[in-house]
Amino acid sequence: MTRKEYIIKQKKMGRHIFGVFPAQYPREILWAMNVAPVEIWDPPLEITGANAHLQPYICSVVKLGLELILQGKCDDLDGFLFPHTCDSIQNLASIVNDYLGMEKPCYFFYHPKAPFRDSSRIFYMEHLKGLAALLKQQLGPLDFSKLNQCVEQGRQVTSLLRELYNMRASGEISASNVQFYRVIRQGEFLLPDDFIPLLEEFLTASKGRSVAGPAVILSGVLPNPPEILTLLDELGVRVADDDFLSCSRRLLVPFSQARDPFEAMAETYFAMPPCTTKGSSIDERLNYLFGKIEGSGARGVIFDMVKFCEPELFDVPQLVKELKERGLATLVIDSELNQGLSGQLNTRVEAFVEMIS
Amino acid sequence: MKDLGAPALMGISKVGKKSRPIKPDPHFGPPLKCTKRLKEIMTRHYMLSRYAEGAKPVAWVTSGAPVEVLRPFGIYTVYPENHGALCGAKKMGPELCAVAEEHGYHQDLCSYARIDLGHYFSGKTPAGKLPKPDLLFASNNICQTVAYWYKALSHYLKIPLILFDTPYNFREITDSDISYMVRQFEEMIPVLEQVSGRQFNYRKLQEYVRIGKDASLTWGEVLATMKSRPAPMTIFDAFGHMVPIVSLRGLPLALEYYRTLLSELRERVSHGVGAIKRERKRLMWDNIAIWYKMRDHSSLFAGQGMNFVTATYTNAWAETTPYMDENRPFESMARAYSLVILNNNLNSRLELMERLIKEYQVDGLVIHSARSCKPYSVGQYDLKRLLMERLEVPSVIIEADITDSRAYSEEQTRTRLEAFFEAMEG
Ligand code: SF4
Ligand code: SF4
Repeated sequence: MTRKEYIIKQKKMGRHIFGVFPAQYPREILWAMNVAPVEIWDPPLEITGANAHLQPYICSVVKLGLELILQGKCDDLDGFLFPHTCDSIQNLASIVNDYLGMEKPCYFFYHPKAPFRDSSRIFYMEHLKGLAALLKQQLGPLDFSKLNQCVEQGRQVTSLLRELYNMRASGEISASNVQFYRVIRQGEFLLPDDFIPLLEEFLTASKGRSVAGPAVILSGVLPNPPEILTLLDELGVRVADDDFLSCSRRLLVPFSQARDPFEAMAETYFAMPPCTTKGSSIDERLNYLFGKIEGSGARGVIFDMVKFCEPELFDVPQLVKELKERGLATLVIDSELNQGLSGQLNTRVEAFVEMIS
Repeated sequence: MKDLGAPALMGISKVGKKSRPIKPDPHFGPPLKCTKRLKEIMTRHYMLSRYAEGAKPVAWVTSGAPVEVLRPFGIYTVYPENHGALCGAKKMGPELCAVAEEHGYHQDLCSYARIDLGHYFSGKTPAGKLPKPDLLFASNNICQTVAYWYKALSHYLKIPLILFDTPYNFREITDSDISYMVRQFEEMIPVLEQVSGRQFNYRKLQEYVRIGKDASLTWGEVLATMKSRPAPMTIFDAFGHMVPIVSLRGLPLALEYYRTLLSELRERVSHGVGAIKRERKRLMWDNIAIWYKMRDHSSLFAGQGMNFVTATYTNAWAETTPYMDENRPFESMARAYSLVILNNNLNSRLELMERLIKEYQVDGLVIHSARSCKPYSVGQYDLKRLLMERLEVPSVIIEADITDSRAYSEEQTRTRLEAFFEAMEG
């Protein structure tokens, strides 16, 4: 079922559909309020209208998201949620809410930035409740027991994803890189009722030996252009793990034992893997990467950057320097989303793979 | 060593010398006498900065950070963004940016950050020498970029970073936002005590908040003199004279300076002395200055009889001052610092610009789309459209950068400005 068909089906079932911009948000609250969050990362569109609103030096995640709205492809949605991921998303949220004359409700979710202190925890909890209170005006009250169920479902999703990631890191998955991310990324729009069986099925079906080639870690915002995965498959490279904002950084969260669902969500947020968008230090990010490298036997890291992405680009020089000092190979590429791999990028990836083979 | 400010100011004073044409430009009125005083202050502070390192704790601070909270601890403050502006004005931007780029920092990143990192790697600066910091103090009320940039510095220098996190005001500011920021102030006190070796003195903080507020209010009055026709100074003058409110905020010297400047400007207003001789049209500037083009632009516009009488940028250090209250220093600073233009939704920005256009009787708007600065620039295309629809104010967008002149096209800018000049006459 395509994303579009799925949305239509959910709508028919009486669900509210929200367009959610990157990256991290309390999805459990939305699920519990009968909302199907559909994440907007890299819709396959040609950018035309968005250029009248955004400068050439703005990343294509933001441009494509706006393009999706301008082309009327969000007309059937019931609202938008903009998490505060970076300056560009922040201002995009304000353009959509303040300048486009849209009738749809727009919600905003601010994450406290690290280093996390007591103040951050108090604020985050208040903010979660504040979001629920705002949504209530449109969607009706939040059912506490439903929220508890959704938090539990969130744990199940995480647990399955973790198992898949662990299998992949230890070379026990037969799925290709392309297949792996195709499945993982279904979680950007499937509700847990549908995502959990899909993950279970994939887990069973893809048990087996990984390709024997060298292993790498991918880091960046999201696995795009998809051609990079295809190329790595062709070259016999195993993506052993990732440090993508859209994937491991927000999906592989530790469990919380808290009984209060808001506390559980807050604990989870503060224990999430380090990320540029929440102000994690370079040391935390390095430790996270080294952990992944050790756990998977990867020989190098490919930094797959979205052009103009400030949060990611700022950390790269220090990460690269320290990885190199530990004898690991690194490759930094940057490209616009959905533009494929240029001949030059293709060659650079091939040269990198040759080096680590 | 009580009222130290940014060492980069000294360099700015040199820029001041250069920024005036050697031959007096016939389009300008008499120069401001206060410029000399500004240079003296800068020179003095620059001299003192040389002795700060080792003698006092030094903090590198972002322009929007609530610096008043550092003052009671006797911490010497340096403003890398001011230093960046200075390097830009001295046309050293590309050279220093290139150093950072050699170390892996992408050309698409904010050029203030690249200049600062370029300075860190090479030691090059037109300001003589910047004292090394013991502490980094940043607030993301202007952008998230400063958080990434200062995080990099913190890693290189192995020194603590205090981040004052200001939730973005997508709608109205909330009590929860305010409490969050107040708690952060409370949490940073022990860190500041440790770095400075001094105990926190609440009364002193109140004093600095009061002085800081008075200086900002006076700066606001300075800017308000430009409501007069002809305006007694141009926004290009204000870009230079704003340095104390950025770098010396909370110190008596800044207040004293702005009082002197204000009385000179009032004097000019009472005698009808304008910054340019023939003020035919009045303009507003949006975004940070194009530092390496200040002199060219100021002559170009003056030659057309056009004077910039207001800017969203200079206004940023006066706009939220009324919230400051020495009796509630933390709470009032939280409000004043988180409601600044770049931390506020675009609707408030539109309203602010509409208000400035009306109050300053603005005929046209020049929008600098600054490649470095996404929070300032994203939304400008819509702002241009909306201001035209609502107030019929003609405007032009210049695609450029604050300090990296490699992102500036002389030809494209000329073409756009010529079309704008024509529209202004239409
Ligand atoms: S790609 Fe980077 S700049 Fe763009 S929206 Fe994502 S985090 Fe922000
Ligand atoms: S120019 Fe913009 S992005 Fe750079 S430090 Fe200033 S506010 Fe931040």
